Amino acid sequence: MSLVFREADAAAGRGGDASPAAGPAPVLSVSELSVVFPPRRRGDAAVAVLDGVSLAVVEGEFVAVLGPSGCGKSTMLRVAGGLLAADAVVTGTVTVPRDAAGRRATAWMPQRDGLLPWRRALANAMVGAIAAGVPRERAEPRALELFEEFGLAGFERAWPHELSGGMRQRLALLRTCLAEKPVLLLDEPFGALDPVTRRRMNAWLAGVGLAQRAGSAVVLVTHDIDEAITLADRVVVLSERPGRVVLEARAADGYDREAILAALDAGGPPMSPAGRSLTA
Amino acid sequence: MTADATVAVRARGTSRGRAAAIGAATVVVLLALWEAAVRLGGLPPFILPAPSAVAAAAVEQAPQLGEHVATTLTEAALGLAVGSLVGWLLAVLTATVPTAGHVTQPVVLLSQTVPTVVLAPLLILWAGFGLTSKVIVVALTVFFPVLIAAASAIRDVDAEHADMVAGLGGGRRHQLWLVRLPASVPGALSGLRIAATYAVGAAVVSEYLAGQSGIGVFIQRSRKAYAVDQIFVGIALIALLSGLFVLGIVALRRALTPWQPPAARL
Repeated sequence: MSLVFREADAAAGRGGDASPAAGPAPVLSVSELSVVFPPRRRGDAAVAVLDGVSLAVVEGEFVAVLGPSGCGKSTMLRVAGGLLAADAVVTGTVTVPRDAAGRRATAWMPQRDGLLPWRRALANAMVGAIAAGVPRERAEPRALELFEEFGLAGFERAWPHELSGGMRQRLALLRTCLAEKPVLLLDEPFGALDPVTRRRMNAWLAGVGLAQRAGSAVVLVTHDIDEAITLADRVVVLSERPGRVVLEARAADGYDREAILAALDAGGPPMSPAGRSLTA
Repeated sequence: MTADATVAVRARGTSRGRAAAIGAATVVVLLALWEAAVRLGGLPPFILPAPSAVAAAAVEQAPQLGEHVATTLTEAALGLAVGSLVGWLLAVLTATVPTAGHVTQPVVLLSQTVPTVVLAPLLILWAGFGLTSKVIVVALTVFFPVLIAAASAIRDVDAEHADMVAGLGGGRRHQLWLVRLPASVPGALSGLRIAATYAVGAAVVSEYLAGQSGIGVFIQRSRKAYAVDQIFVGIALIALLSGLFVLGIVALRRALTPWQPPAARL
């Protein structure tokens, strides 16, 4: 346990250092992030959801943040994306590059698709460009290309309710891409889908090479170990709430599924041997 | 699969057709009972005229009815347009600028605690006997349901939609244009549908108080002449016009909210 802790601290130190010659500078860095929600009613206790989480993401990297439900991984992503309830107490630093107009370099995609029911598919995708201030002349041809690439060609004029769950999620992802932000923050993008569609979507997403596009990086939050391993160059495991980093693993070193599962379990409440073997 | 779908569609079609047939039959039976009651009961026509007498009066009065109908229609349509526009804009304003909501809320509530009919004489005093005072009476009656329905539609906007726009870098202006304004339209339209049912009634009541022409004026004149059959002609016209307004709103809704499935439109 303490060893895992030191490993996480070392990772934070690496991300925080401005000088090292090793590797490119991070496009997104979160350091020592803690988030506490004040009590909802009198008598309730304050809820600490994150406890000193550090994470540095470099250009071209696909990072998966893996953790049990309710461990604060979505909260971390929302903080990185500049969204959080005004009453939450946030400490630590989040470093996000901004463009000349002062806009954050992140595009956040919600767990549910967030499609607007009154806009057809293409118009829904264009919301990404409009909200991010990307000119229409540039965004629309790009959108049509992506419709082709994301397997949505022919559905440009469909209403969201006419699309299947998988198509809606792909459309939401397409919308997020059209914001042309260097960092994509995906909050369980396929979490609402049935397991079969979800596997298919993950296989597809792995083939799209989202993070390899010029100047981009992806942070994906999930509670599904296989999704994390399939998609990410690096997996960061968070503990049960309040979330702490308990393990980091890189695809380059080869993922040890057992070790990741063990870290997931170690970060949570103790389990009976039967429960342990069930998960493994 | 296809066969099943066809059957389901046909079943729905038949049930709708059946509902219409039952409704029409009910009206016919009621009219027949009314006719029979008047004839067999020997009620004098200055108390309750038979439907056939009302129909005869309508035919007889037809040449001069056109002008009255046109007047009332203009008042109701303008009042409905002005009232719903004001209601919708107020809803958007109060949702975007909370302070504006705090300012307008007491005024709005006050305007609704006093029935518009009670305010009508004052409005006629201020705005004259002409069209303007009637349009104001209708607009005052109509704006409230539109305001309430549109405001609650904006309030119920999915937090996820707002977050989605913010997460892509959108600001308050984007929230308004992309999410709140469009979300308010279906709400405003359902408020408008309720408002449409009493727009004509409000116009007629304001005509009772003052005016040279309109269905209200026609009814008042008929009352003074003890022409009860003509009063019924007026009432039938009000019902007809109100029905037309509602149909118009339903058509408007279909045009403005094409993403909504037909079942959700009514």
